[in-house]
Amino acid sequence: MNVITDHLSEFGHGLLLTVELTLLSLAGALVAGTAVAAMRVSPVRVLRAAGMAYVEVLQNIPLLVWLVIAVFGLPEIGVIAGLFTTSVVVIVLYQGAYTAEAIRSGINAVPSGQGEAARALGLTFTQSLRLVVLPQALRTVVQPLGNIAIMTLMNTALAAAVGVVELTAAANRVNLAEAQPIWIFVTAGLGYMALSGLLGLATGTLERKWAILR
Amino acid sequence: MVRTSARKRWAVPVAVAALSLAGLTACSDGDSGSSVPGAAGGGGKQDDLVAAAPVAANLPAGSTMEKIKKRGQLIVGGSLDAPLLSQQNPGTKKVEGLDADFGRLLAKYIIGKPEVKIVNSASETREALLSNGTVDVVFQTYSITPERAKQVAFAGPYYSSGLVIATKKDKTGITSPADLKGKTVIAGANTPAIPAIKKVAPDAKIVTFGTDPECVQALKQGRGDAYVQDEALLLATAKQDPTVKIQGKPFTSDPYGIGLKHGDTQMKQFVNDWLKQIQASGLWARTWKNSIGTVVEGDAPQPPAIGSAPGSE
Repeated sequence: MNVITDHLSEFGHGLLLTVELTLLSLAGALVAGTAVAAMRVSPVRVLRAAGMAYVEVLQNIPLLVWLVIAVFGLPEIGVIAGLFTTSVVVIVLYQGAYTAEAIRSGINAVPSGQGEAARALGLTFTQSLRLVVLPQALRTVVQPLGNIAIMTLMNTALAAAVGVVELTAAANRVNLAEAQPIWIFVTAGLGYMALSGLLGLATGTLERKWAILR
Repeated sequence: MVRTSARKRWAVPVAVAALSLAGLTACSDGDSGSSVPGAAGGGGKQDDLVAAAPVAANLPAGSTMEKIKKRGQLIVGGSLDAPLLSQQNPGTKKVEGLDADFGRLLAKYIIGKPEVKIVNSASETREALLSNGTVDVVFQTYSITPERAKQVAFAGPYYSSGLVIATKKDKTGITSPADLKGKTVIAGANTPAIPAIKKVAPDAKIVTFGTDPECVQALKQGRGDAYVQDEALLLATAKQDPTVKIQGKPFTSDPYGIGLKHGDTQMKQFVNDWLKQIQASGLWARTWKNSIGTVVEGDAPQPPAIGSAPGSE
């Protein structure tokens, strides 16, 4: 077990970076996803089309390909940002597409009477979405959003491929020195399990707290 | 959507597929002008090497070598994407390079024929593949270290390499390892460059990428001040790409060993004897000339003394 205790600081730094990547990506994906879902249900045809195009393009290309395009492709046209920043932006945009679809399903689950009532009261489209529809929609999709959060956590491991030293890359580096892959990667795996366990617990708590009684 | 007849809908993709196949065959026909260094004249020279290779006079009964001979094939853990060391030529499907050549020579020594099957191994899996018997030997820039020697046996070292620093051509101020202090340094993930950089410049920021081409690309795009990699690989890169420059001489010595199953002293002795034979007969130097010698000028270096690296005793 010395393999692990000798390298606690490496594992710690990796875990911290994984947590940072995950939290930033989740926050960004929630904002992006809500905006795109709103576009997809808006009465403006151009916005609906743009929202759909966004989801289709982002979802139908693997995340690793997006990361490689952003890290090695964009600098060729003069756009260069740090590896961590680039990874966060790419993961946000990618997970944003999935989040948008989950939120859209939540919006579709809100009875149409709610929207009609909001309009009857004189609320504009934005007001009715913000005050009436979205609060109910988001509450219905806590569980799918929790799944997307766990998927986001797992997907941060792909940032290892473009030079971000998060948990997977840190484990790789420790293994290079110690050549004990089983212990080292099991430890990294336990780290991911603990984090996703936390996400699962948070999801469950929120779901119970926000459940809509119909 | 406009309806097209079934025949038309099939015609286009089929034509495209046929054309691309034709293109592929055209490529492999005229493959002599390969851009892969070390591949120059590949096949023929490899066959010369194999023809000159020795065959073991007798194999001890019940030994691992005898089992390999009965099977008729040596199973090697190696890479298919390491230029100059072990890289599959897309045209001929032959694996070329120093490690690949040594694998074939060892197969001939044991079996009498250069029958090798390469199992693509990675630095995470080599120890496991050897200990569970998936592969007989590992030829994969396998640096001998005392930590690794606790899990596998190392014959050799059969080659000694070193790390060098490369920068963009117009970069100044980085000429020795000490200049890496406080800089951002690019290294290949899972290469010995990472601990080596930490040793000479503990406060350098290390950025890693999976493959050598990615590292070179990152260096050219300014994601790091320098790139530390094996000398042979960087020489090949610098030769092809004039915007990359090698700064100074190798600053480490990396003994590559032949990975064997832990505790198989009989086979270790056998492989070491084979290494001594090919070193004495000059075959070692010819193998070097055939791969790394295509980018490094001058004569083959002195091969490292067998058992000299800590962990290979």
